[in-house]
Amino acid sequence: MIIAARPRFRWAPYRALAARAMAREATYRFDVFTSIGSVLVRLYLLKMVWTALYAHNTTPAELPLHAVITYSAVALLMGLVMDIDQTRALHDRLHDGTIVTDFLKPINVALSFFADGTGEVIFHAILIVPSLVLALLVVHIDVPPPMTLAAFAVSFVLGYLVGFWINFILNCTAFWTLEISAVQLIVTWLTDLLGGEIIPLVLFPVVLQKIVFVLPFAAMFSTPLLIYVGIISPSGWAAAIGVQAVWAAVLAFAASLMWRAGTRRIVSQGG
Amino acid sequence: MASVYREYWRINILTTLEYRENFVIWLLFTIVYHGSALAALWIVLTRFPEMNGWNFKQMAFLYALWMLAHALHNTFFSAVGDVPDHIREGEFDRVLVRPLDALFQAIATPGQVFPDELILAVLTFVAACIYSGVHIDLMFVVFVPLIAIGGALIDLALNLAISTAAFWVVRVDALRWIVVQLEQEFTRYPLSIYSRGVRVVLTFVCPFAFMNYFPATYFLGKSETALSLPPAVGLLTPVVGVVCVALAYAFWRFGLNRYQGVGH
Repeated sequence: MIIAARPRFRWAPYRALAARAMAREATYRFDVFTSIGSVLVRLYLLKMVWTALYAHNTTPAELPLHAVITYSAVALLMGLVMDIDQTRALHDRLHDGTIVTDFLKPINVALSFFADGTGEVIFHAILIVPSLVLALLVVHIDVPPPMTLAAFAVSFVLGYLVGFWINFILNCTAFWTLEISAVQLIVTWLTDLLGGEIIPLVLFPVVLQKIVFVLPFAAMFSTPLLIYVGIISPSGWAAAIGVQAVWAAVLAFAASLMWRAGTRRIVSQGG
Repeated sequence: MASVYREYWRINILTTLEYRENFVIWLLFTIVYHGSALAALWIVLTRFPEMNGWNFKQMAFLYALWMLAHALHNTFFSAVGDVPDHIREGEFDRVLVRPLDALFQAIATPGQVFPDELILAVLTFVAACIYSGVHIDLMFVVFVPLIAIGGALIDLALNLAISTAAFWVVRVDALRWIVVQLEQEFTRYPLSIYSRGVRVVLTFVCPFAFMNYFPATYFLGKSETALSLPPAVGLLTPVVGVVCVALAYAFWRFGLNRYQGVGH
């Protein structure tokens, strides 16, 4: 008996999916305008808020005014990429039922969502450049030494993966329940706050710091940003990045379990 | 008109009762939205006890006052913001041939509106009054509802003016987005922290400062340091609201008379 050979894995369909996602994002010019505009307006607001707070109170020694403004500016630019829900398509296709046809295609479905999300992210990553140029007109952003920038880049990628898996898990819940839009928005606001995107976690009250630093959200924004502004010193880089890697691995494992359970469910329901 | 309006609320409430789970989820959404905004203020102000002379208690009052006016607007007038969608879809033309005022019809378009945000806002405001220790007298009791109404009218005026712009330019989302950002994020802090241009915009162009900053300054007995105006301007909010709505309404009538459809 001859067992049919497994088709050889090909990259081309996924490259094509990513390219299509980029083209799709580029057609929404209004969204491009608002995301850059939003960064600038919020940058101005954050500059004014931190300036007012630092003017009349004792300055935290570890985070002077220029460092906290740099932190906020880099956080906003990171947000252009981090705040994207890359696997939104999974939720949408579960909602309208078209996911069934995806499983008939000769592709790996999970990977096709990943490719689509990657295309979207690459397009938004490109937007960081004009945003950064315009941001420099509003505020001064400190630039750390090259080694720190490299550690920041590694940490940013890991933070991105942590965010990616959290979104993926949320979208996977659509296998079981369809009304998750409001829940997702709630989670987004909480991660913005608990991840250190809005306020550096080191400025939280000490009791709260003990909680927020052990949550996975801190691995998204806080770790790369604290490396950037130098609060995590070079000797602490390995440990901090290690914790992020563990979170990324744990969440990836949880996501794969959910994906498997979810896809089985579709089969058992008969589509 | 009154009977039509009663019917509008009956439909709204029945719709909400029909989709109870949705209602609970969106109520939770509203609570988390305002809760996380207040939590962020609290976290920052535990580390930095004051912001241009304002402490957390006073800023909680500032936020609650805005929330009250904004919730009032969202409960009664938010449907005005849907007018550009109706124009784009060609549905607005139907409104024009009915024997009722077009703006009234725009306001009374049934949706899934329920006074949950308003109830939440009233509770938050009462809590903020107790917490901030604001001096409550007859003046306060009489003026707070007027200021909330005035603030809601300011909100309505901006909402209506932007929707009216849709008679000429079909996509008004960018404009609306800028104004929403100005309102929701910039009203959280005392006006005095901004640069002069932004203070003037928030006082005279999009007068959101009258929704909470000026009245809160007056009620908390603080001196006004943003534009050095006498604190009593905080009591002018109802007048500002009425004037804004009158201007927006004139603009709306002007737009309505010029409107020729979008070519469906």
